[in-house]
Formats: sequence, C-alpha cells, structure tokens
Amino acid sequence: MRVLLVEDDPDLSRQLKQALADAGYAVDYAPDGEEAQFLGETEPYDAVVLDLGLPKTDGVTVLERWRKGGMAAPVLILTARGAWSEKVAGFDAGADDYLTKPFHTEELLARLRALMRRAAGHAQAALECGALRLDPRAARAAVDGEPLRLTSLEYRLLHYLMMHQGRVISRTELVEHLYDQDFDRDSNTIEVFVGRLRKKIGPDRIETVRGLGYRLLPLAGEAPAV
Amino acid sequence: MRLSLRRTPAIAKAAPGFGSRSLVARLIALASIWSLLLLAAIGIALTAFFHHAATSRFNYDLTVLANDLYAGAGVDAGGQITAPSLGGDFRRAYSGAYWQIADLPKGGRPIAIARSRSLWDQVLNVAPPTLAMLQAKPGQLFYYDTLGPAQDGREPLRASALLAFLPGHAAPVLFVAAQNRAALDRDVRRFGWATAAAMAILGVGLVGVVFIQVRVGLNPLFAMGREIAEVRKGRAQRLTRPYPSELAPLANELNALLDHNQEVVERQRTHVGNLAHALKTPISVLLTEAVRTPGPLSEMVTRQAETMRHQVEHHLRRARAAARSQGSGERTPVAEVLDEIVRTLERIFRAREVMIDWEAGEDLLFLGERQDLQELAGNVLENACKFCRSRVRAEAEPLSATRWRLTVEDDGPGLPPDQRLAMLKRGERLDENAPGSGLGLSIVDELARAYGGSLTLSESRFGGLRVDLELPRAET
Repeated sequence: MRVLLVEDDPDLSRQLKQALADAGYAVDYAPDGEEAQFLGETEPYDAVVLDLGLPKTDGVTVLERWRKGGMAAPVLILTARGAWSEKVAGFDAGADDYLTKPFHTEELLARLRALMRRAAGHAQAALECGALRLDPRAARAAVDGEPLRLTSLEYRLLHYLMMHQGRVISRTELVEHLYDQDFDRDSNTIEVFVGRLRKKIGPDRIETVRGLGYRLLPLAGEAPAV
Repeated sequence: MRLSLRRTPAIAKAAPGFGSRSLVARLIALASIWSLLLLAAIGIALTAFFHHAATSRFNYDLTVLANDLYAGAGVDAGGQITAPSLGGDFRRAYSGAYWQIADLPKGGRPIAIARSRSLWDQVLNVAPPTLAMLQAKPGQLFYYDTLGPAQDGREPLRASALLAFLPGHAAPVLFVAAQNRAALDRDVRRFGWATAAAMAILGVGLVGVVFIQVRVGLNPLFAMGREIAEVRKGRAQRLTRPYPSELAPLANELNALLDHNQEVVERQRTHVGNLAHALKTPISVLLTEAVRTPGPLSEMVTRQAETMRHQVEHHLRRARAAARSQGSGERTPVAEVLDEIVRTLERIFRAREVMIDWEAGEDLLFLGERQDLQELAGNVLENACKFCRSRVRAEAEPLSATRWRLTVEDDGPGLPPDQRLAMLKRGERLDENAPGSGLGLSIVDELARAYGGSLTLSESRFGGLRVDLELPRAET
C-alpha cells in the first residue's frame, strides 16, 4: 500500500512518516503544493494525506487539479481551521475525509484504513450519458470532467436515472427508490429534487414526460446512450 | 487572556444644555419671534393709519358744518346776530349733532348767543387752552374732543370751533359745531380687533409654515439618523441614501469610518485566527511525540497539550463571536448554504450512509454572514448525523418578514427532557464555561444568541432529537 503524505511542518511530517511506515505503508513525502501535485499526477497511490495550508500551491487547489486530471485515490485532508467553509471547500474539491488539527495519530491511521477499504470495496463500472459521467466507486459525478457537487439524494436520483437512461421513470418509482418505507414522503417532492439536479447538471438533460415521469437523455449532438 | 464578547453599546445620550437644544426648536423660535414682532408692528401701524384717516374724514364733515354755520349767520338791523336755520338732527334734543354761536369777551368765558335746539338748555364747552388758541389765531378752525349733554353729560363729542368776525358786529363771534363721535370710536376699535385677529391668524399660519419648512428642510438629517441606527442594529452595512450636498461629506466620512472599523475588526479576527491556527500544528507534534515515548514527562506534556488545544478552540470561537456581534448586514441564501453543508456532511458520514433530506425556499435569505450560517447549520446537522440511525431531515421556512426557522430532526435515540434542559443551561453559562464542551450545540446556541435568535430542543417525529433554530431573515 502506497501513501503520499503532503505536510509542510518538518516535525509533524517526520512523526507522520514514522507512524505510517510503522503501520506498514510505503510513504512518499512532499513538503509543498507543487511537488505534491507532480507526485500525485505521476505516481499511483492508494491514499493521500493532504495538509491544506501548504506553501507555493494550497492544498485545495492541488486537490482540485488532481481530481480534474482524473486522479481517483482517496484523499484525507488535514486542516488547522475547523471552519465549515473550509470543510465545504475541501470536500467540494474532492476530499474523502478530513481531520482537524491537532489530532491523535491513531485517529489518522484508523480513518486512512477505512478510506482504503471503502475504495477497494465496490468495483462497479462508471456510468455515462453524453458528457455526464458517474463513478459509483467514488460516489462522484462530473459533466465534461467538471466535478458535480451533489447531495446524497441528488446523487441517488442521478444514479437511478443513469442506470435507466432513455426510459421514462414515474415519480412513484423514484420515491420508492430514494426513500425507506418508514420515511413517508410526498411524491411531489421529487419535483424539488429534479429541479435542484437540473440546476447542477444543466436544465435539458432531464426531460419531463407529462403525466408519466422523467427521462434522462444525452443532449442533442452528444453520443447516444449506450 | 480572556476575550470578552463585545456587546452592543448603549447609546450615550447627549447631555442637555444650551448648546444641545433642538435645532428644530431653535430655528422655529427664531423665525417665529421675528415674524410675530413684524406682524404686531404691522397691526399697530394699520390701526393707527385707519384711526387717522377716519378722524380726518370726521373733521372734514365738522368743517363743512362750521362753515355752514358761519356762512349762514348774519347781523340784523338791530345789531343782533341771527343764526342760520340748520335742520335735521340739530332740531332733535340730544341728538348728537350740535352747534352754538357765542360772544367771546376778552379774557372771559364764551357767552352763548344762539344754539341748536338739540342742545336744549345746555352749552358746548370750550376748554381754556382751545380758547387761547382760537383767540391767538382768529379765522382758523380748531378741532377738539369734548363731552356733550346726552348720557348724563358724558356723551363723547368731536367739535370744530372758529373765532370769526361778522360784518356789523364789532366783537369776534365764536362758532362751534359738534358731533357725536361714538360711531367713529367704534369703527376704529372694530378695525383694531379685526386687524389683530387677522394678524394672529397670519402669525399662527407663518409659524406653521416655518415648522413644516424646518421639518422638511432637516428631513435628510433625520433620515441619516435613522440609517445610522440601522447600521448600528446590523440591518445595514453603510449609508447608501443620496444626501444633499451639505450632508454628503458627513455621510462619506461616516462610511469611511465604518469601513475602517470593519477593517480593524477583520484584522483582529484574522490575527487571533492566525495565532490560534499557528499553535495547532506544534500542539499536534507535542501530542504525537509524547504518545510515542511513555513516561511521567510524556503524561504531563499530553495533559498540558490537551489543555492548550481546548484553550485554542475556545478562544477561536470567542474571537469569531466577538467579531460577529458587529452585524454586517450581509444577506446569505439559505438553500445554497444548506446544499453545500449537506453534501459535505454526507461525504463525512459516507461510511454510515447517512442521508440528509432537506428543504428550503430558493428565495429565503439569512441576515448575516455566510460563514456564520455555515457554522450554525453545519454544527446542528453534524450533531444530528452523529446521533441518527440513517436519516436526518432539515427544513428551513420563513416565520415572518424578519425571522426564519431551521428545523433539524433525526431518527436517533434523542435526548431525555432533563438532559435537553441541561444542554441549554450550559449554553446560557457559556461565558464561564470550560472550553471544549462536547456537543457542537453550545456553539450554535451562542452564535444564535449573537444574532438575536434562539435554539430550542424537543422530540423529533422520527424519535430522535429535534432542534429548532430561529434566526433573522433578510428581505428578498
């Protein structure tokens, strides 16, 4: 198992390198954003520990560039600022978990193990519909390589529509699929979610078939559904 | 070091004194005193003028009468003076119109020769000073006020007297014609009252106009006062209304001051934040190193480092809260913030497959900073995610034009009522509370209070905890 550690503080990085090596990982180390970006783009890692406050290029930017370039390894971010704005920015950039400094090393190792186990778990193929791409393994979707920022319900809705693309799906079917039985929801709320999803993936990808339901289609000019 | 929560300062009332009296009252008083004095002078002058004109007219009538008397009088063959026959009121006793012809011996009193029937058995008096003037200038008419026979001798009369010679009569003869001047006096009096009333009405009107003028004229000043109050209450960020050229520099200076203030607060906030964050990595290093080399020293270091970590967290929060109570007047879309917090939390709790079902109107706006709504919603929702089995439901809805509510429910075990109370009490005593108090809800409580909002805990319809957060709403 190969892990990339990106941390600029020499003492902390020394400790973390030691701890990771003790846990049996092969550790590569980058002290700044530029080197981290290069290593992440060229070497195949199983996981990355990324500090957000880095010299040269900050962590969020590095992460965004990785994800745009198709880097899929799970990334755990370390942040000194526990503010929600920073967490949101980190996860939107493509992080899989975060730890707020100061932390205990055991906590870091436990989180890292969980991340790698999850990444290795499901081996489902990516779904595509025109420029829309959904990767069930990382639970991420993108349009033209640009990552989408979806909530869990939106992701599930998109996933279901993509699995059945080209077919008209009724609201009742969607409600049944999205909610548990004990979570009693009106089928009208599906409209709300479809509305939110359209705002994120583009208004014309989901067609409303009056009285029947919804259908996901590639845009005109895009490759037809496989 | 302990940062105290900055509270909204009470407005210091300006001490009353000569210099601080109302500007409006001053302007109105000045204008009123001036116009009232002017009106009084005009009233008095008008009355005097009228009095003069009316008396002149009266004198003219008297002159005609006196001339008629003189022209009509003659001397008969026996040397006796004959009176003209003047009719009308002169024949009716005490009618108010009288004449009299008299001899005026040198140095003596006049001796009536003939008089109108209206005088009956009375005579018309001529005061000694008038007699002296008559004698000094014979042939000239003199006017004077006197009393007549009617009303028990108190009838107000105006008389004209002439000392003239008649052909065939050696001594000069005194002709006196008189008329009741009660009507004249009454007219003058009435005119005086009417003028006074008119001036009073005009005065009240003028003061009213001055009042309106001052109020309207100073309106931008009052508007500025109201806008500044809005800024202080955090409903506005700066003065935005267009002000007249005299006030515009003041408004610009105030805005510059507000910007400067904001900048200073921002800088303080950044400094405190930087300091606290800079400490976090060394604390992390200390903690890790201490764990790796067990012993009494490492135990002590661990304990102290943990304390430092709590202190840092605590003071960071206090610093954020202190900057917050400034009130920036920022407007934050609720749906946007909920969307980003929800997708972040779902990633954080992905291993447990937590699903957050949320609803918020697209046009609902939080009156406050985005960062603060992220903290509020983030901590409440994170708490719900921690304790739920799999589902969390969040609803944001407007309560009124100025309030909205975020309701977060989970399907976890919930909290018994006595523990809920304890949690809220902990929020109340947050000031003296030890840093790092477990659940993120105490931070939320403090933050909501800084925004004049509230946090209430109850039981969710899904069995878990229900958190209601009431917060200020911005107009759409």
